[in-house]
Amino acid sequence: MAWFQKKPPEPSAELVKNSPPPKAVKGLKISSLLSEATILFPQEGQDKSSVLQALVASVCAKSGTFDWAPLLKKVEEREQGISTTLDTGLSLPHARVDGLAAIQAGMAVLRKPISDPKQPDLSIRIMFLFFSPNKQEAFALHLQLLRGVASLFQPAFIDQLTATSGPAAALELVRKLEA
Amino acid sequence: MLSFISFWRAAAIVLCDLASTAYYIGGIVEQAVGPSAPWFILGVMLFSYAIRYVYMESCSMFVRGGVYKVVKEAMGGKLAKLSASALMFDYILTGPISTVSAGQYLAGLLNTIFPYLRIDWHLDPHAFAVVFAIAATTYFWRENVKGIHESSDKALKIMQLTAVMGVIMIVWCGYTLWARGFTWPPLTLRFSTEGLGWAANVSWLKPVGAIGILMAFGHSLLAMSGEESLAQVYREIEAPKIRNLARAGIVIFIFSLLLTSLVSFFAVMIIPDSVRISQYGNNLLAGLAMSVVGPNWIRLLLQVFVVGVGVLILSGAANTSIVGANGVLNRLAEDGILVDWFRGLHKKFGTTHRLINMVVGLQILTILACRGDVYLLGEAYAFGVVWSFVFNTMAVMRLRFIKREAREFMVPGNIRINGVEWPLGLGAIFVLLFATASMNLLTKKVATVSGAAFTLVFFLIFVFSERWNEKVHSGLKALHAKFNLRQAHDLKIVSDEIEKPNRTLVAVRDPGNLHHLKRVLETFDEGTTDLVVFTSRIRTGLGLVDEVVNMDNEEQKLFTRVLDLAEKAGKTITPMLVVSNEPFYAITQAAQAVKATEVVFGVSAKISTDAQLERLAMTWGSLQTDKKPVRFRILGPGVEHAVDL
Repeated sequence: MAWFQKKPPEPSAELVKNSPPPKAVKGLKISSLLSEATILFPQEGQDKSSVLQALVASVCAKSGTFDWAPLLKKVEEREQGISTTLDTGLSLPHARVDGLAAIQAGMAVLRKPISDPKQPDLSIRIMFLFFSPNKQEAFALHLQLLRGVASLFQPAFIDQLTATSGPAAALELVRKLEA
Repeated sequence: MLSFISFWRAAAIVLCDLASTAYYIGGIVEQAVGPSAPWFILGVMLFSYAIRYVYMESCSMFVRGGVYKVVKEAMGGKLAKLSASALMFDYILTGPISTVSAGQYLAGLLNTIFPYLRIDWHLDPHAFAVVFAIAATTYFWRENVKGIHESSDKALKIMQLTAVMGVIMIVWCGYTLWARGFTWPPLTLRFSTEGLGWAANVSWLKPVGAIGILMAFGHSLLAMSGEESLAQVYREIEAPKIRNLARAGIVIFIFSLLLTSLVSFFAVMIIPDSVRISQYGNNLLAGLAMSVVGPNWIRLLLQVFVVGVGVLILSGAANTSIVGANGVLNRLAEDGILVDWFRGLHKKFGTTHRLINMVVGLQILTILACRGDVYLLGEAYAFGVVWSFVFNTMAVMRLRFIKREAREFMVPGNIRINGVEWPLGLGAIFVLLFATASMNLLTKKVATVSGAAFTLVFFLIFVFSERWNEKVHSGLKALHAKFNLRQAHDLKIVSDEIEKPNRTLVAVRDPGNLHHLKRVLETFDEGTTDLVVFTSRIRTGLGLVDEVVNMDNEEQKLFTRVLDLAEKAGKTITPMLVVSNEPFYAITQAAQAVKATEVVFGVSAKISTDAQLERLAMTWGSLQTDKKPVRFRILGPGVEHAVDL
């Protein structure tokens, strides 16, 4: 895994080509980012905004470090940009946060899908929220996590998750899939 | 990536157009044929069930159908162009009649409210309607140029609100009739001079009996204007498509039958004759709200609600008309009927802004010409719809004989004689449509003159544009041959043809932003790497599924520039064009299909490179089949980002 950002003078593409091969970020288990406290099963009738707020609050409560309101604002600002909802039923709200040491994540399992106001034709069945450190060297990991979560939460797996009894069973299922 | 919609959403999109007529149909038809109008509106709404069958059969044959495609297949290009020209006339009128009607409702409401607020104003409803209509049309023009496509979610919400309003009105009006007693609207016809049109001068054409019924039926036909949108939404409906189209059709039928017919009956039965047309001719539902039983302030609140819902649904119909007209013109342009200049994309938003400008320009001219008179617009309306129904039904009937293969759906009422199936059901629908359309030619003077003139002008534009394009196309064919342009369905073939160990996919869009391609051309090793230069044509909203992928003007410019750069560098490239509704899905799928080892982009003017990479990572992850990492690079002047995903 490699991440290069070069500023003027204009870089040589050869430099990139000959740079060391990308190192895979080994040992990144999505299940290790989750805990029963950060897996929510929101009740029916909630919209995207309220689920997002509950998820941000639970992740902040678990980490015990951050005030959730500014983080919620940051995620909501990101949500105004290019969509984070996929047609698999996965929504991936996220934000890069100054001063954060490690990735913090949480997940909402929606037994009844909710719609994304930005993409009304798509339904959200899983909302996976994460915050990552706002450092250039952490951006590759940030992107890899986005790819990894999108790859893991495919429709068949989402079906299984939404049928679980609660946070413990859902976490166990994620662990099992990653094993 | 294509996403499809449920039959509920499909029904909501069609109803935004079809059900909005409830707001003006009663007033228009009564001014033409007298207080028996509701019976004929009911007749038209019942007949719309049969028209639904015709659309189901045509859609079962052509997913990307519409009247142009169906008529072209059955009866050739000339009649297809004629029917599309007629349909354009109604799309142009749908916007003005909806926004002017909304303006009339608002003006009526404000004039009712002002005295309560001790404001000594009285708005001229016609002038206010013109100003409102132009403002609303300009708003939707801007939205469409920006590419904010018609959302099925918004349509669904509007229809839910309309349903609530419908239920309240039906219950309240029912109670009013129960409390006051009632008489049914008369069955006798009382044509106005305008309602008879030229038929008044034809001695043998008396407005009585079957002829009178046909005349009145023709005046009421605009009640089902919007039914043609079924063909537009069919492309978007999720599987099983025909069954879901049938379900959408039933929802549309029941909703419009209850709302449009019932409120027309209630209006005649509840609003006093003395004020119904004189005071509420242009805002009949507001008059109905003010005529039910109950304290004045509650009735006023009801009027506010009715007008609020009306403004929403009528505005939705105006937006649908711009989207629909743009869709039809795009379809024609793709078939080479319109010169490529019209398909030029907006530099910032990537929409076919010239087509949108033309449609909206014609709508604003119509608004100014009608001077806020809904009845005048109603008189002109429905020319295109009825003739496009006629052509469509005729085409479906002809296709029964020239394309005998099994269909997923057939209009019922078929009799097999000596091995030949005779479409009696279709025939009956055609006869009634043709008779009505022919009668309308005589009775609806404004529609005949303006509709025929407009249709002729559009038809001539299409004919001459097509000839012009044929000249240009001879050059275009050579360009295609030169490029050996690959399209979506060729993805697998391309993958098989390229054999070098490395494959680089370069995504291009703007001929003025090819810095990244230049960089790749300068450095890539032709001995070990195949270079695929890829662009995606983004289509959103109605008209999503594209079968015809010919290069348009912008794409020609783009690939000409790409070829110049490749020739300059002396490197071989494989150009590729894919149609999609989401650029990141298009890139991901193309990269997977050609088994790319590297994907290169330019810096976007609209999205930050971080956001580009984030969205790409998500899309790549959701679709990734091969776990082997691929390098993604974003190159721009002084900028280089690379990441392996």
